[in-house]
Amino acid sequence: MSHTILVVDDSPTVVKFVSISLKNQGFKVLTASDGMDAIEKISTLPETEKVDLVITDLNMPNLDGYSLIETLRHNVKHKDTPIIILSSEEGDDDQERGIQVGANSYLVKPFKSSLLVEEVAKYLD
Amino acid sequence: MSNTRNLQQKLQTEIVELTKSINEIISNFKQLKNPIQESQVKVPMATNQLDKISEQTEAATNHMLDLIENISIREEEVIKGLTAIKKLMPKDNEKINNLLDGVIEKTNINVNDAFTIMNALQFQDITSQQMNHAASLLEEIETKLTQICTVFGIDPETSEEEPRDKKERVYDPHADLYEKKTEQKDVDSMFDQVKK
Repeated sequence: MSHTILVVDDSPTVVKFVSISLKNQGFKVLTASDGMDAIEKISTLPETEKVDLVITDLNMPNLDGYSLIETLRHNVKHKDTPIIILSSEEGDDDQERGIQVGANSYLVKPFKSSLLVEEVAKYLD
Repeated sequence: MSNTRNLQQKLQTEIVELTKSINEIISNFKQLKNPIQESQVKVPMATNQLDKISEQTEAATNHMLDLIENISIREEEVIKGLTAIKKLMPKDNEKINNLLDGVIEKTNINVNDAFTIMNALQFQDITSQQMNHAASLLEEIETKLTQICTVFGIDPETSEEEPRDKKERVYDPHADLYEKKTEQKDVDSMFDQVKK
C-alpha cells in the first residue's frame, strides 16, 4: 500500500510542484491551502485512511505552519507523524522555531524535487 | 514718539513679510494637493498591477506544470513499453537491443530535463512573494498618504473606482531565488543535533 502525504502550502504552484514530485515516486498526495484547511482535511479522513507524512509551508493565511505543527503534535494520532517544513525563510530563528514546535526536517525554497524525495524517503520507505 | 512710529513701521514690514510667507506656504500646499491626490490613485493601480502579474504568472506556471506532468507520465510509459519490447527481443539481436537502449536512455534524459524545468518553475512562488512584499510596501505608502490628506484637509477620495478591500498578504520578505544565505546541509545538521 502506498503512503499518503499531506502537502500544505498557500501557493498553488508549490502544491502542484511537490505533488507531481511525490506522485512520480508512487505516493498518494493530499493537498491543503493553509493550516486550517490541513486540519480539516486530516480530521475528515475516513477511519481506514491516515496521513503518513506532512509537508508544510510556514507563512500561510488563517493558520500558519508553526501553529499547524503544534496542533498536530498535541494530537495523539499525529504526535509522531514526520513533518517536513518547506520555506523560503532561511534564518536560524525560523529553523530553531521549527525544531521547537516539533518539525523533523526543514527544506529551504527553492529546492530540487530530488532533494524533497530524498528527505521523504528518510521517513517513509 | 518717533520711537513708536519706527516700531509701528517695523511691525508693519514684519506683518507684510509674514503674510507673504503664509501665502507662499498655502500656495505650496495647494501645489502638493494634486500630486498627493494623484498618488492616491496611482498607488492602488500599481498594487493591482503587481497582483495581476502574480496571478498571470501563477496561471501560466500551473499550465506548464500540468504539461510537464503529462510529458513525464507519457515518457515513463514509453520507457516501460520499450523495456517490455527489449525483453521480448532475442538477446543476440545486438543491433535492435542497442537501438532500444539508446532510445530508453534518451527518454530518461527527457524525463530528467522535464524535472529540471519543473524545479526552475519555482521562480513563480518566489517572485510572487517578492511582489506581495512590494505591494504591501505600496499599501503602507497609501495609508501614510491618506493620513497626510486627513491632516491637511485634502479630500483623499479622488478615485472614481469603488474603494477596494485590501488583500491579505502573507509572504516571506526574504524570499530569494539566488542569494541563499544558508546551505541545506547546515539546516540538516541543526535538525540532526536536536534528534540526537
